[in-house]
Amino acid sequence: MNNNLISVKGVSKVFKVGEENFTALRDINLEIASGSFMSFVGPSGSGKTTILNLIGGLDVPTAGNIFFKNTKLSAMNRNQMAQYRRKNIGFIFQTYNLLPVYSVYENILFPLLLNGSKEKDVRERVMNIINKVGLSDQVKKRPSQLSGGQCQRVAIARALVKDPLLILADEPTANLDSKNSLQILELMSELNQQYKAAVVFSTHDEKVTRYVRREVGLEDGKIISDK
Amino acid sequence: MNWSIAKKNFSRQGLRASLNVLVTALSIIALIFMLSLLNGFQAQATKNVVNTDVGGGHYRAPGFDILSPTEWEDHTVKTPEILMQLDNKDKAEVLVLQGQLYPNRRLYPVQIRGISMEQSLLKLPLNNLKTFPKNIDDLIPVVVGAKMAKKSHLQKGDTLTLKWRDKSGAVDAKDVLIVDVGDMLNPRVDEGVLWLRLDHLRFMTDRKREVSWVAVQNYIGPVPEFEFHPVELLMADLLALWRQDRINSKILWAILMTLVCISVFNTQMLNIFKRQKEIGTLMALGMDSNRIVKIFTLEGCLAAVWALVVALLLGLPFFIWFQGVGFDVSHLSESTLPIRETIYPNYQLMEIIYSLVIVFILIVASSWLPVKKITRLDPTMALRGRAIK
Repeated sequence: MNNNLISVKGVSKVFKVGEENFTALRDINLEIASGSFMSFVGPSGSGKTTILNLIGGLDVPTAGNIFFKNTKLSAMNRNQMAQYRRKNIGFIFQTYNLLPVYSVYENILFPLLLNGSKEKDVRERVMNIINKVGLSDQVKKRPSQLSGGQCQRVAIARALVKDPLLILADEPTANLDSKNSLQILELMSELNQQYKAAVVFSTHDEKVTRYVRREVGLEDGKIISDK
Repeated sequence: MNWSIAKKNFSRQGLRASLNVLVTALSIIALIFMLSLLNGFQAQATKNVVNTDVGGGHYRAPGFDILSPTEWEDHTVKTPEILMQLDNKDKAEVLVLQGQLYPNRRLYPVQIRGISMEQSLLKLPLNNLKTFPKNIDDLIPVVVGAKMAKKSHLQKGDTLTLKWRDKSGAVDAKDVLIVDVGDMLNPRVDEGVLWLRLDHLRFMTDRKREVSWVAVQNYIGPVPEFEFHPVELLMADLLALWRQDRINSKILWAILMTLVCISVFNTQMLNIFKRQKEIGTLMALGMDSNRIVKIFTLEGCLAAVWALVVALLLGLPFFIWFQGVGFDVSHLSESTLPIRETIYPNYQLMEIIYSLVIVFILIVASSWLPVKKITRLDPTMALRGRAIK
């Protein structure tokens, strides 16, 4: 037993692409500590997104096990897996994946409602985090009315608002210009220290690697560096 | 919470939801309209036959068969007292005999029908016969139907020779005057039928108080020396046609329902297909599959309810307006079907309810089914928009 937040043990993932098998991950072993600020780096097809999806319980490994605080994810059924994501994981996607018909406020409120909170009890908390990501004047706008950088801020606020233990950010700066990318990274770094949630990026953006405290290099589904 | 999410999702989809609802509503209106028009056609034709010929059934002279003209003269009977006592609005005495008309020097075999002028059971355009005196002077007043007039090039005011046999078999002939050309609505009482006053025909053929049948409003029990022919028997040919038509209309209903189903299913599937990423996001946020399915199914219910409301709002004024103007089928006026030139829809509540329930179930099912499928897959597939293709 250990105190790691996430333990990845001998994980492999094989996808079937047509008649062919494609091995996305090969025998991955690693630990992620609470409060980490790290990234998986590597070229396209190296397995960055796959490892994030497996850790986030969005997909299941073909071989090996992933443990969240000593609980084996593969032992969970679909509802338990949904609960695991609901309670512990915040996702930030490259394409933001905001709910299109909801306002900024409602998008950020949504994970709290899913966790059973009443709106009146969490309104202040939502407004606080909106202020922190600098969107206090955009509260009522819908995602279609925001810029890419603003959408990603909403996504960050949505991931953070429920106080998750782990935030998984899949290429969060890929769709943003340099200025917005740096602002987002600074914001995430600041929030990581403030909220103590572990943040794991997948990226091939060099700017990200300058901010993280740990960098795991992937190539052809294998770990080639961990520094 | 599920309800409020579904309501919010639905109400804020804007144009997409509105189009979805509109397409479904228009499909529902088209379905009801087509079915009601078909029902209206049948109901009107049936009503026309009842109003112009059948009434509530016939008390007929035993052995009388409308398909055996050579025997008509042998099957006439005096109207019994029990039928005489019926009110004029409940009975119509009819005497049917053979005759030959000579329009434009051609021989035209006709069915001479004498009908009592006091009756009001059958709705026939014979008012001009009433104005003539009971006694025949030079010309016998007759009315012909519009179809017969057209076919034989006859018109109001024409005089032509009619030949017939009296009760003793003696041949007699006299000129008749066409006092009116009437729209009979029913080809059975139009083509080849020459309408006379009953008293005139009885006088011409020496058949005092005799009839071939008495059409009645309602069956009044057995009457000596008469056979009762119920509506089903008298309209057997038309009802058989309707039965066949019912099968056809069921096929039409199935085709219309299939079209509505395809339209609704297509719209719903497209809607869900475009929202795969949204479903994936909900899964990533930790919403469990059952809840996602419930929310999308509730959205489907809302779409169905709104489609019904819109169908009602758009359809009701249209149906009311159409009930007034009807559907022009004058191109069918040459057919042998007993219909007016305009038919009016006949809205059958149960048929409409069945159709609406099916459409409602379909909308809900087409919301439920694809989402169920998506949520059974890995969330990553939904996030990539590849759960359904």
